[in-house]
Amino acid sequence: MTIALRVAAAFVLSLCSLAQAQEPIKIGVVLELSGRFSAFGHTCETGVKFASEVWGDTVAGRKIEFLYNDDQSDAAATVATLTHLISQDKINYLMGPLSSPIAAAAIGPWRQGKPIWFVPGGSTTTIEKEVGPEPMFFHTLPYAYHYYKTITEALKYQLDTTKKKVAILYVDDNYGRTHQPLAHQYFTQAGFEIVAEEVVRANSPDLNPVLTKIAQTKPDILLGIGQTTDSVTLAKQLYTRNLNIPYLIGPGSTQLREWQDSAGEAQEGWIGIAYYVPGVVNWPANKDYPRVLPSTAEWEKMFEARFKYEPNYHNLVCYINIMQLLIAIEKVGDDKEKVAAEIAKMDLMTPMGSGKFAPTGQGTLNQSFKDMMVFQRHNGKNVLLFPAEVATGKIAVAPR
Amino acid sequence: MNFIGQALIDAILLGGIYTLMVMGLALSFGVIRIINFMHGEAIMLGAYGAYWAFALYGVDPLLVLPLLMMLGAAAGYVLFKTTIAPVLNAPHENQILLTFGLGLILTNVALILWTGNERSSNPPYTFASLNFGDIVVPVSRLLGFSTAAVLIGAMFIWLKYGELGRASRAIAQDRDAATLMGINVPHMYAFSFGVSTALAVASGAICSFIFAVTPFMGFDMLVKGFAIVILGGVGSVIGAVAGSFLLAFAETAVAYYVPNGNGWSEAVAFGVLFLTLLIRPYGIAGRPAAG
Repeated sequence: MTIALRVAAAFVLSLCSLAQAQEPIKIGVVLELSGRFSAFGHTCETGVKFASEVWGDTVAGRKIEFLYNDDQSDAAATVATLTHLISQDKINYLMGPLSSPIAAAAIGPWRQGKPIWFVPGGSTTTIEKEVGPEPMFFHTLPYAYHYYKTITEALKYQLDTTKKKVAILYVDDNYGRTHQPLAHQYFTQAGFEIVAEEVVRANSPDLNPVLTKIAQTKPDILLGIGQTTDSVTLAKQLYTRNLNIPYLIGPGSTQLREWQDSAGEAQEGWIGIAYYVPGVVNWPANKDYPRVLPSTAEWEKMFEARFKYEPNYHNLVCYINIMQLLIAIEKVGDDKEKVAAEIAKMDLMTPMGSGKFAPTGQGTLNQSFKDMMVFQRHNGKNVLLFPAEVATGKIAVAPR
Repeated sequence: MNFIGQALIDAILLGGIYTLMVMGLALSFGVIRIINFMHGEAIMLGAYGAYWAFALYGVDPLLVLPLLMMLGAAAGYVLFKTTIAPVLNAPHENQILLTFGLGLILTNVALILWTGNERSSNPPYTFASLNFGDIVVPVSRLLGFSTAAVLIGAMFIWLKYGELGRASRAIAQDRDAATLMGINVPHMYAFSFGVSTALAVASGAICSFIFAVTPFMGFDMLVKGFAIVILGGVGSVIGAVAGSFLLAFAETAVAYYVPNGNGWSEAVAFGVLFLTLLIRPYGIAGRPAAG
């Protein structure tokens, strides 16, 4: 090859790499922005957009491009959307979906390109079994078994649980069917007696028959497993029936503002779990990245000033996950394997506590934010019951 | 424990709500001969109307119900004139797709306006109950049943004695003969659709304090409603009442006496429908098709 040709080839190659270096870094954001789970999707979207505003529009010298897509809370739409993002847009980084059935639907297309994948949700253990061991998969909120492990530990901390009887009411959908066996397992292991297990149809308008049957078994504890819609119906109809069940537990929905507002006075005494409770724990600012990972109080102030409402856990965890991703890209560049390795080893203090990833011991290689708080609704506010270091009160019998 | 008393109360109260839910559907098919796939969304919008009246202005859902019904009737009339009337003589598939599409639009407009967050109105009687020994009667459901009974009774009186009610029945019996008798059929179609919508809105308002309100609540009700209408006999208002109570009793009995029975209630609905159609292919109070 002549020298001129070699110089020309080198020039063309350098132009190509320059062009690639100018290409934005694409981050796919696939969320439930419509359909049944849109409430979750929109809160995460807000967290991602807030992170994008706070960080800025470049990382590692390149523009960042967030590709927002609506999975419509629908499995088929999720597959189509994700397939396009991975095969056409060639994304290396993916946030969402959040809800268990939709995240499970995303597994197939995800495998086509295996971008780094943050799932801040998806409590079903199906996801853990399918993709937990994958080094590109980062699960950033608890699995279902974490819920019941924490709840039973909290009950043992607060109560004499000897011979306590538990009734489980669960909804016949993906969420209820996933959680019920784990609830049964962990409550049994913790020494509780399961005296009733009743399934109800999703969106059932009348729970009176089930409640009447449960009341007959005289449980000390009622565990109601369902999505928010069914949890509202349960709380209202249970309160109206005036059943003498001392302790009421709603693992998923009790922490949500919409459940609390819809249940009204029926919320009193319900016990729930929370990954984050605004204004309760103030984690310090990250010493290396205080601007993007401030203290909890500072972050809450920033969020409320920007959006004019109190944040919830999805706003926060999605914000944190994006910051973790951008910090890793900033450090090691746009190399998927290097970024994944960097995220896996980072131990960042965040407004939700330590963001360190570690194996669950049940199949997921990279799990963060699995620790939860247990609280009870007293006079329209959360009283923290567990863990001991954050507890602000004692468990009380639900008012009737 | 003997469940029979509580089961009877639960079934009766549920039957009343089902009846109000499907009465409009039965009316729209009986008179206009269209299958209205956006009936569920009318229920949903009625529920939201009652919720917002309570949340923003503190107005009880049962007090705002007449206003909501009037608004629903007007909206139904206008919607019929502008979108459904043009396809009245089109194939049924076109009508189904049109109303289904309109229903989807309404669901997504509600989602955009109010998000998917659950809401529920909680007027003072929401959590009250009357106790008769072991039997508990929730006051909210009793009031809902009573309101439904009044509205259904009023509708029957209107159909039997009212000028426009009799005109609706005439059209349902024989459209051509009704035209020859001087009845303004296009106007009556729109009017009946408005009444149908008003009844759906009323049932939504009652549901707003019994369970959660979301943009997606209409579809499940629509499916149940169609099962009841077919069970009762398509186009028969009496049949709709019978079908509602038959279904309510069947679901409640299964919920009480079959292990995990509440989880089977959807299957019960369609099982009862299947069995009834085997014995009476045109439903409880329907009539065989002509020829």
